[in-house]
Amino acid sequence: MVSKKIYRTLVPTASFLLVLLFVYTATSKLLDLDTFEWRLAQMPHLSTHADLLQWGVPFSELTITGLLLSPKFRILGLYASFALLGLFSIYIIAVLASDHPTPCSCGGIISTLGWREHILFNGAFMLMALGAILQSRRQTK
Amino acid sequence: MKAKFFKLLLPAFAIIMAVGMAFATEEANSTQTGYYNHPILGVQAIPTDCPETGQVLCMEGQWQVFKDPALTIPLYERFE
Repeated sequence: MVSKKIYRTLVPTASFLLVLLFVYTATSKLLDLDTFEWRLAQMPHLSTHADLLQWGVPFSELTITGLLLSPKFRILGLYASFALLGLFSIYIIAVLASDHPTPCSCGGIISTLGWREHILFNGAFMLMALGAILQSRRQTK
Repeated sequence: MKAKFFKLLLPAFAIIMAVGMAFATEEANSTQTGYYNHPILGVQAIPTDCPETGQVLCMEGQWQVFKDPALTIPLYERFE
């Protein structure tokens, strides 16, 4: 009973907040595509793929948004959110470990965060997605 | 009614809010033009997102970046 109540609350709340995050960051990137491309071009290891990534990253975020909004694919969307945020976090850790920290290429006001704050921010959203995944798996068993 | 709220209105609200926030904060994050003094080419303009406050000087390669072409207002890196 309690588990069902948590499921009913946690999964929609996590999906709502992830949709908010991905739509916000994707829109911010698309609104200022030149800046986003320029920031990508400054990043170690990614600069050669800046052309592809400037479209690929917002497209991925909006695709995941679509999955999260569809009740049928919501769980897949939560997995994809967790994976994408995980990839971003791994890259941030790699940048922090390198000698050449570069400006964050994330969209909107989030780009004003420092790298360490960004890891915490991503970690919080990853935890939330993971909680929703675990809760939905428990519910479907 | 409650189900309809969660299925339709809440996602629509999330999207509208996110897009609105993106437009509202766009100005605060856009790049500005920065300038540095190249020893051969002279003062060069580049796009930068370095703010006017900070601790670590903003650099373009080995050259310091300034806010103005007269190279009097230094810019700083936005990260730690």
